[in-house]
Amino acid sequence: MPETRSHYQDELEKLEASALGGLELVNAALERTAEAVEHQDVELAQIVIADDDRIDGRYLEVHQALITLLATQSPVATDLRLISALLHVLKNVERMGDQCVNVCKVIPLSGNEPPADEEMVETILAMARQTRTLIVQAKRAFEERDVEMARDLVRQDDVVDDLNRECFRMALEIGDDADRREWAMTMLLAARAIERIGDNAVDIGEQVAFVVTGLFREFEDASHPVQ
Amino acid sequence: MSKIAEQARQLSSQQVPAGTARPQVPRRDRGNVELAGLNAWYGANHAVKGIDLGFDAGLVTAIIGPSGCGKSTMVRCINRMHEEIAGARAEGHVRLDGIDLYDPAIDVVAVRRHVGMVFQKPNPFPTMSVLDNVTAGLRLTDAGKGEIEDRGREALVEAGLWEEVSGRLKSPGAGLSGGQQQRLCIARALAVEPEVLLMDEPCSALDPVATLRIEELIGELKKRVTIVIVTHNMQQAARVADTTAFMLGGELVEVGPTERLFTNPDNERTEQYVTGKFG
Amino acid sequence: MSAATDHSLFAHGSGLRRRRRVNRAVELSSTVAALLAVAVLLIVVGSVLLKGLGALSLHFLTTPTALFGETGGGISNAIIGTAIIVAIAAAIAIPIGLLVAIYTTEFAPPRIAHPVRFVLDVLNGVPTIVTGIFVYGLIVVPQGNQSGYAASVALAIVMLPIVARTAQEVLELVPLTLKEAANALGIAHWRTTVRVTIPTAAGGLLTGALLAVARVAGETAPLLLLCSIFAPGNLTDPSQGLASIPIFIFQASESPSPTAHTEAWAAALILIAFVLLLNVVARVFYARSRQRMEG
Repeated sequence: MPETRSHYQDELEKLEASALGGLELVNAALERTAEAVEHQDVELAQIVIADDDRIDGRYLEVHQALITLLATQSPVATDLRLISALLHVLKNVERMGDQCVNVCKVIPLSGNEPPADEEMVETILAMARQTRTLIVQAKRAFEERDVEMARDLVRQDDVVDDLNRECFRMALEIGDDADRREWAMTMLLAARAIERIGDNAVDIGEQVAFVVTGLFREFEDASHPVQ
Repeated sequence: MSKIAEQARQLSSQQVPAGTARPQVPRRDRGNVELAGLNAWYGANHAVKGIDLGFDAGLVTAIIGPSGCGKSTMVRCINRMHEEIAGARAEGHVRLDGIDLYDPAIDVVAVRRHVGMVFQKPNPFPTMSVLDNVTAGLRLTDAGKGEIEDRGREALVEAGLWEEVSGRLKSPGAGLSGGQQQRLCIARALAVEPEVLLMDEPCSALDPVATLRIEELIGELKKRVTIVIVTHNMQQAARVADTTAFMLGGELVEVGPTERLFTNPDNERTEQYVTGKFG
Repeated sequence: MSAATDHSLFAHGSGLRRRRRVNRAVELSSTVAALLAVAVLLIVVGSVLLKGLGALSLHFLTTPTALFGETGGGISNAIIGTAIIVAIAAAIAIPIGLLVAIYTTEFAPPRIAHPVRFVLDVLNGVPTIVTGIFVYGLIVVPQGNQSGYAASVALAIVMLPIVARTAQEVLELVPLTLKEAANALGIAHWRTTVRVTIPTAAGGLLTGALLAVARVAGETAPLLLLCSIFAPGNLTDPSQGLASIPIFIFQASESPSPTAHTEAWAAALILIAFVLLLNVVARVFYARSRQRMEG
């Protein structure tokens, strides 16, 4: 059928690409964050914190454009659900960026000595790697409108959650050691922030299902343990 | 688990579909319309193809679709005006509260006292005053009994026009503004107390403010009459209608609660039409 | 490039000059043609005015024609005679013409309406002398004498197609949407016609009637055959011959006396004035009717 409203369709596509591009920014930020944790690199951490402005800027810009589209084009049906989903996705992206910042803020607190527990650092780095996989998968699921791929994010996120529990257990073990206790607590905060990034990715997956099916349903959250 | 937590769990485990239906309005028991197997032709041109569709009393139903899809034709079959056109004919059943309006025993003219119509371009009778216009349907048919003028005034109140014309009931009907003229035509149609009111693109010829006033009026009128509105303006259908039906090429493609049709339609063609990909 | 030099975009090309010349030529020729048409009317009215004004007076209008070809009389009997003949003709033609028009536009199926329309157009084109001969055979011969009635019948036949066709045109101009509205209210078709269609078209119907009267007021050929012999004493009895203005003009112009010629011009002036007045009044009604239908 001949394309009418092609300017509007183009605009919508561009905004989707822009919003999902925010995920790539987050992915890069997480990679740098992990590197900063690995090498206790305070300067790198500062760079990540400063760069978060770019993610926030992306959020504001795309958000404004989507609102304008709502006001001027009266979107309905799939277009409307897409715009609603993109608004949620933007929020998730912005939160993810903030969580990276949280991790980076924690790094200077761990001091300039070599890490007190290599194993814990390794676990955190594994969490970061897995979470980056989640981000990439969420982006692809949205781009391709693949509900199955989106649902699979839950399983991927479980890995992150397990690793987070591991960190907790490790922190408990260190607990009695007064020198390392403080360090372990701060590392736990970092682990928690990364775990939240994973949850945000799962939320993006839920938005994929909403766009495709018109139904909004929590895949899994704290009140619904996975069957 | 405590009772409250249990209830909270039940609530959150329910799906929340986009487009939950509006709360049910208590339905009038008069003014239900059923179309069954309705077909209509202009000569050899088959314009309306086998429509089965119901219009519930107390609700507003919008008919949307691209130009030439047969929506106006279908609506004109409901008050049997389609057959007035030379060479046009219609077959099938249109049941108003169970009575088939196409039954040979039914008087065509009587049908129109139960199914009123408002047209695209306001058409008050130019040689009559405002009050005479409103009461025309009562004076010139045998529907008029009792206090005709009082009924006329009531109709003007129902149409939201009373305050503006109460001082000039005797002045010419054609001297009002476009929006006022259309409300006058609505009052005129309401005066005979039909069960159903058909509106064929009633706001197309009006400015946006007049349009919105009439849309609000429709929201109030539906308590009194079943309303079927043909519109090519989808935002209007979305604002005004409880149920929306989408027609294409003379056929009914989809019908359902308005919110569902505009947030998550079932049919691919409906989706493409409402998002503006064709039409 | 600055704005000043940019107006090369708007510069005059040769095409523009040629278009202007053609434009002016066409404007000029149409204006000349229009002026010519108006000039003809002005010349006719002007010469009648000039030549007839001399004989025009209150005496002229209120005195009957002098007897035996003498001069010094007036045209009061001719005015009355014309008035009676035209009035009777109108009384016949207008109701019938309106009814025919209403029938063909509102009630008749196309297979009847079209032939009727055709017949009316043909009737419109029949030379009035032929109509006169027809009525002569129909009424004058059996009756044995000329009469005002015979003249009225002939004029009515001439008027009928004019009234009917004009009425048809006007009735067809009534917007369909008005009739639809009445239909949708459950008003019966005939009632719609009587209470909506006709009142809306009323101005135009009146116009048609007035124009038909204006046309026929000066129709001479039938009068020559049917009503040119009259007793001077008969002022108002249509069963006998009546005086009429066209016949007066004809007879006065045949007279050798120059005074009679002037009287003929004066009578012509009266006739033209009457026709012009009717036309103006008809225009006014038509304009009001149009306004009503479009407003």
